[in-house]
Amino acid sequence: MDMVTMNIIDSAMVAICREMGVNVQKTAYSTIFSEAEDFTCALANPEGEMISVAEFCPAQIGGVPLLVRSMVKEIPEIEPGDVIIHNDPYRGGLHTPEHTMFKPIFVSDELMGFAVSIGHFVEVGGMVPGGFPGEATEIFHEGLRVPPVKLVKRGVDVPEVWKLLLSNVRTPRGNYGDLRALISAVDMGEKRMVELIEKYGKDVFRQTVSDLMDYSESRMRAEISSFADGRYTFEDCLEDDGIEAKEYWIRVAVNVQGDEVVIDYTGSSPQAKGPINATLGVAWSASYNAMLHLTDQTIPKNSGCFRPIRVISPAGTVMNVNYPGSEVGGNTETHPLIVACIFGAMSECAPHRVMASEGTTHGCFVFGGYDEENDEPFGAFDFTYVGYGGREFADGNDATDSINGNCANTPTEVFETRYPWIVEEYALRQDSGGAGEHRGGLSISKTMLCTGDVMISQMTNKHLRTSWGLKGGKRAIPGATLYQAKSANDWQTIKEAFGKVSSSKYSNVPIAPDERVSVKAPGGGGFGDPAKRDKAAIVEDVLEGYVSREKAMEDYGFEESWISKYAPDDSVEAAE
Amino acid sequence: MSKDVSIDVGGTFTDFVAYDRETRNLSVWKTLSTPHDPGEGIVRGLEDAGPAGEIEHLRFGTTIATNAVLERKGATVAYIATKGFRDVPFIQRGKRQSHYDITWIKSKPLMKRRHAFEVAGRITSRGEEYIPLDEAGVRKVAERIAADPRIEAIAVCLLFSYVKPVHERRVKEIFAEICPNKPVSISYDVLPKWKEHERSSTTLADAYIKPLVSGHLENLNTRFAERGVNKRIAAIKSNGGEMSLEAAAEAPIQMTLSGPTGGVVGAKQIARLAGVDHLVTLDMGGTSTDVSTVVDGRESFTTSFEIEFGVPIQIPMIDIRTMGAGGGSLAWIDKGGMLRVGPESAGAAPGPACYGQGGKRATVTDANVILGRINPENFLGGQMALNVDAAEKAVTKVADEIGKSPQETALGIVQIANNNMIGALRSVLTERGLDPRDFTLLAFGGAGPVHISDLMPLTNIPSGIVPNYPGQFSAFGFTMTDARIDVERTAPMTSKAFRREHANDVMNDLVRESTQALADQGYTAAIEIHRSLEMRYFGQNHELEVSINFESFDDDTITSIWQSFHAAHKARYNFDIPGETIELISIKVTAISATERIALPELPPASGNPEPIAQRPVVFDDGEHNAAIYNRTQLLAGHHLAGPALIEEPASITVIRPGQDVRVDTYGNLLLGEIAAR
Repeated sequence: MDMVTMNIIDSAMVAICREMGVNVQKTAYSTIFSEAEDFTCALANPEGEMISVAEFCPAQIGGVPLLVRSMVKEIPEIEPGDVIIHNDPYRGGLHTPEHTMFKPIFVSDELMGFAVSIGHFVEVGGMVPGGFPGEATEIFHEGLRVPPVKLVKRGVDVPEVWKLLLSNVRTPRGNYGDLRALISAVDMGEKRMVELIEKYGKDVFRQTVSDLMDYSESRMRAEISSFADGRYTFEDCLEDDGIEAKEYWIRVAVNVQGDEVVIDYTGSSPQAKGPINATLGVAWSASYNAMLHLTDQTIPKNSGCFRPIRVISPAGTVMNVNYPGSEVGGNTETHPLIVACIFGAMSECAPHRVMASEGTTHGCFVFGGYDEENDEPFGAFDFTYVGYGGREFADGNDATDSINGNCANTPTEVFETRYPWIVEEYALRQDSGGAGEHRGGLSISKTMLCTGDVMISQMTNKHLRTSWGLKGGKRAIPGATLYQAKSANDWQTIKEAFGKVSSSKYSNVPIAPDERVSVKAPGGGGFGDPAKRDKAAIVEDVLEGYVSREKAMEDYGFEESWISKYAPDDSVEAAE
Repeated sequence: MSKDVSIDVGGTFTDFVAYDRETRNLSVWKTLSTPHDPGEGIVRGLEDAGPAGEIEHLRFGTTIATNAVLERKGATVAYIATKGFRDVPFIQRGKRQSHYDITWIKSKPLMKRRHAFEVAGRITSRGEEYIPLDEAGVRKVAERIAADPRIEAIAVCLLFSYVKPVHERRVKEIFAEICPNKPVSISYDVLPKWKEHERSSTTLADAYIKPLVSGHLENLNTRFAERGVNKRIAAIKSNGGEMSLEAAAEAPIQMTLSGPTGGVVGAKQIARLAGVDHLVTLDMGGTSTDVSTVVDGRESFTTSFEIEFGVPIQIPMIDIRTMGAGGGSLAWIDKGGMLRVGPESAGAAPGPACYGQGGKRATVTDANVILGRINPENFLGGQMALNVDAAEKAVTKVADEIGKSPQETALGIVQIANNNMIGALRSVLTERGLDPRDFTLLAFGGAGPVHISDLMPLTNIPSGIVPNYPGQFSAFGFTMTDARIDVERTAPMTSKAFRREHANDVMNDLVRESTQALADQGYTAAIEIHRSLEMRYFGQNHELEVSINFESFDDDTITSIWQSFHAAHKARYNFDIPGETIELISIKVTAISATERIALPELPPASGNPEPIAQRPVVFDDGEHNAAIYNRTQLLAGHHLAGPALIEEPASITVIRPGQDVRVDTYGNLLLGEIAAR
């Protein structure tokens, strides 16, 4: 192995992926990728192995190998200048809104690999605007399914495919912009890769990339070896599926055997009718995501990392849905719950590398309506941030996007300029984190007054269940979505107000002017015995208002006299 | 006699450049910085500038504001937000710094949550008053803050103040009345731009450093007055312009990133003198490297900077990317056996192994010593003898781990360091759609000239320049700053529903405000106004800036801006969407009052070829060569030479690859590559 050339080619490829990402981010329309960065740019070899990826959305990287392989299988004649589009969850995709573009990289007539861009489109057709029908029971309800097809052939648009795609969504103007953004990224990636491969020569390039994946593999093996051999189990559940009021369990056994790990989901619940099922791509992606968190984050990210990890996910369960089951929430709600279960299992042998449960949801509050000023329909996705779990060495972070995403919010000043809402509160939820030696993080609450006519849908979880603690840490408080009718004083759940099965997963609820909706996310669980929490930290929590005095007394035995002892300068506040 | 004096206060040294307007003589010197009281080092260094009364124009750049925010040593700030929104600085934008880091701890804002207060009152996105300001509530908060001796400054950020600042201004008035001794920063004055987290974070930073920076400036002003420096005194801003000390005390946030701007301002001047349109700068020091561009004779600007992840400061600043790679960057072997360089650095102490101050680990400088590129006898003009044995020992240790010879390893270390720099250069060129083949690389800082010759072919940049005094180039740049004000306001509207009157009002306000601000500071000479618009396709989230050359929006000019946007999008991203709705986001105005240009001294013309002072073996990518060594002070205008060669001077060494051409221009700049043949 030439360690110098490897370093140079690896960082050059990561830079190319990043450059592709900049193009996507700057030109995309859906705020979910332009603002929230719910997209990924990667490079693959002709065999479908991911050879490089830039850090954008972590949920998507584990999906790249499956996506490339299913595309290559179905498109026998790949030619220079082609761009292939694909979103089919039953062909390696992660969920319907996620669209992938591939562009082949040819160097003097030889296929050397693919530039890949993946982005989450807000509007994909189907039964609700915004792509998250909480009550879908078949893939067909969730939006337009696109198997691998050429969108550009030898550098020229294929107009038939464009027409078909854009005729099946509510916001064709926005979707057109998103498609162009993804294409501009793979165009850029292909161009830069050709330059790079020509510079080093095909043989050196191929050898170096192969060495690079071996290198990542060996680093991953060394990390796994550091965990004690054993079978570590854990389970947690989704509270319902939007169709039936019953729980769906994820059961994981992590088998550490020397320098390999087998992650086995046998025993998980049969697949749900509602859209919470994970596709095989999600089961893989979530397992990889958890392992990348548990190991050294400086390992170059490529398919080599995944070689020592085997995933067993029985078909027909919530962990590997059979056609034509619905699945859109599998990628948002089930994925982080799977990661949490693996952390729970591994807390036995690697407590310093895990956290208690985070809120494991993105809120996925979507809505659509008509923009009168610009005379066109709109669709939108709004993130709600959860609390992260406490850790052996620190409190859980407050108000952070769940672990399978890393998405930024839409600022209120942008939100209100665009959509018919006035946001009345955007705040941390006091007492939402579970108590512990290291407290769980706080989640947020967003309360909105409607000023137009909108249709809302949601795909979230933990309105009934809560985030668990570890090593004696306490559970957090659940989330909620509440509705207030015009001129009313009281708040109701969506289930109560609109006769839905679930308060956390529902489709097409109409909201009129002067009505309010409040979306509250679940907090994170605590880590360690609350009795061991540092008193100065308890006092600081009370003074900063993260924890109320009542809750501090209940969980930690807080006493007023602690303030003058641990924060003498702050007696002023204490007196008020 | 009349002089221009520029001072660049750095962490270790304070650099001085003085220019005599009559003799056109330029002198350069430095003193040790005095971080405990920065004024002391400045005043001490000024003693060498001659009689104080001759100083017509004194400019200084300082990192005091930068350090206050980076080291979190500012004031205790109270924060006033719209009801329901005091947590915005804590929630931030909801992102994690990196994906897989379980140890990450989210940053806190520059104030405590217990000092965050809310006031009722609401302006809508269209500028209507939806809920009137609760003045009684504001008074209550003001009284409480006035009574709390710990609170030293106040930051106010109310929703949609960029559309209509009436509520923020009223809050400021009420505080002036009830709590007159504590400075108040309102977000409309600091950053009238949408996105409440970025605006509040910037406003908080302004309030956070205000007491400290005004104190420092007052102290300096007194000292200058005592010494008799009594003409124009100016502080350097992050946008590379200058401002009066009074203006700096009012808006200290404008100084936060002024440090490295001097090099870019100087680069602009060099570009003009050398007849070059596009320059990319590489300022490589011991621990970090700054890169930036000058395109069509103009520097690039940005407003994105973060103190820590999630804590942004969005003031107009020269777009300078900093990366943790310099001469002191350490070479190391990672867990999988891969050779890596940086970002950890040997710093000033112990420094590279070859400094012989106890450093045991190999750095880029050590590798350059092994390769013969740095002369151990003539480092820092011979003031510091380098320990070649120590360098060899350190590099050999790394070499043994990867199974290569020390020389191969040294070459590998330099190549990886160069590759890190290529990444930085790419981020300001290709990532912005700029073609490196149109650029000239200007290298300065102690280590920039050592690497320029390798970097040119690796980045496809055909020409390079090493200026005079590469080690003090930033202070040199400060002698050429203009007074400059950049203002902008968010005014979202689409091409389908364009509100012409509002657009004209905003643009006229900005022109009036910026010219008035220059005049208030005493800059009245030939004010130039530049206008530009930030636009995007309606639905996108990131804007492209398009310059305009008209003074008001009418039928014709409105049509022209949409056309310009389509063209700009096509040029930047390789596609446009004809017929698409376009959204105007912000209107920007820059007002510049030019200061008197200095005329640089010229070198006498050369006759014949320059004489090398020695020959020495030096290792390049293709093996060892016998390189000619030149003393830079002996080179004259018009001298030509070719690599393999080294050009030595006290603060740096320019390394020339085999076959590369060099020409010395009239002013003594070293021109490399294509430009040398012109």
